[in-house]
Amino acid sequence: MTVLTCPSGPPAVLTWGADALLSGARDTGHVPLVEHELLHGALRADAARTLAADVASVRLLGRGGAAFPVATKLAGVAPGSDVRVVVNGSEGEPASWKDRVLMRRVPHLVLDGVVVVAEALRTTHAVVAVHDPQAAAALRAALVERTDAHHVRVVDAAGTFVGGEARSLVNRLSGSAPVPGGRRTLPTVHGVDGHPTFLSNVETFAQLGLLGRRGPAGFASVGTLDEPGSTLATLLGDVPHPGVVEVPHGRRVADLVGGADRTVLLGGYHGRWTKAGDLLVDRAALRARGATWGAGVVAVLPGATCPVGEVARVARWLAGESAGQCGPCVFGLDSLASDVEGLAANAPVDLSRLSRRLGLVRGRGACAHPDGAVGFLASALTAFADDVAVHATGRGCGRPTLGVLPTGAER
Amino acid sequence: MSPRVLVDWTRCDGHGLCAALLPEQVTLDEWGFPVVGDDLTERQARQLAQACPALALRVLPALDRSGRS
Repeated sequence: MTVLTCPSGPPAVLTWGADALLSGARDTGHVPLVEHELLHGALRADAARTLAADVASVRLLGRGGAAFPVATKLAGVAPGSDVRVVVNGSEGEPASWKDRVLMRRVPHLVLDGVVVVAEALRTTHAVVAVHDPQAAAALRAALVERTDAHHVRVVDAAGTFVGGEARSLVNRLSGSAPVPGGRRTLPTVHGVDGHPTFLSNVETFAQLGLLGRRGPAGFASVGTLDEPGSTLATLLGDVPHPGVVEVPHGRRVADLVGGADRTVLLGGYHGRWTKAGDLLVDRAALRARGATWGAGVVAVLPGATCPVGEVARVARWLAGESAGQCGPCVFGLDSLASDVEGLAANAPVDLSRLSRRLGLVRGRGACAHPDGAVGFLASALTAFADDVAVHATGRGCGRPTLGVLPTGAER
Repeated sequence: MSPRVLVDWTRCDGHGLCAALLPEQVTLDEWGFPVVGDDLTERQARQLAQACPALALRVLPALDRSGRS
């Protein structure tokens, strides 16, 4: 296991068994092109031609949180010179660092993915949308080193949670406000400026880059049959090794968080609280168990902090991150946040009204924000039922709220 | 099979005309936004869509048994 530390805010970077995406990553600066080529080999000449087949053979799933099959998304874009390729590097989730770590430390892997996808889709329109200045600087420095990526542009993305939603980003890149539209549109058909658009998360492109250099067999040398390869997680809170880690699929969640009996947040602020138990890092298996890997945020609360207070802080943050378009999300998340804040402060809260409100917000918005927020809150109330009950008596648990779960101010 | 009424939440401003028109089928939540029932007739669904001042309601065909429309 390699452990690196990043002094400028982001947590330690480490790899755990697998060492593919983060090969050569160091504390500062990025892996230069020469070293990148030595680590991963040259970009295969037929990488673009075989992309669709390669992606299907390794069953690559999108890494932004929805775990959509990349092969299906690729097949949905008709190749042509009007196609737009967009790397979503907005990373609007305050607890997540994996995308910034990739862009800052191994930007060439991300750019490899962009180059291969753009060639496969026969277009020269490719952008990386980033909010983090250090990541943008690393990508621009990496672009200068390459001769095959003149067409790739680095542009500023909105730094908000919902602004990072795919259709919000498409709207921003098309010159509109970074909010999702009210009608379900497919970016693959009607994306940036109305053109067919292949848009995915930074880690998806880095995985595509790895596939382009190592080929399907090399890619699948770690992981499971169902989900070959590795993934990145941001571990935080009371875990043995806080930081961004690369883990092969199939690893036990319990190993990441220091025990099967631990209550863990999987999938970040649109994720779920659950016992680590025998859960594995495997997107399909987690989904079958009602959990989600999301964008890989894994958090455990230390015993010294009040879980109800921690959840209340995130609830208020989630309410504030509503794009403000949909009534049930705007008013519902605000009411829910007030309920949980009241609970944390030992004020009388009607718990049956709280659970009714959770049901009234779910499914009633233009994007996944209200549903994701409700999933987080509902699972927290179940996972911390004992603490909730103590707070509901009006006496509270006596512990302070330490703010273990980041809500953006730290960025 | 009932038609489905889809709410475009980015358009709905909670005017409440839908609930006033068909109180049996549409209730308003505590924030004033509609909760549309699922046993509407085709005619009722169209009435709702036409009554909405924000043009927030759309009528979709009923799902068949396989879940496809």
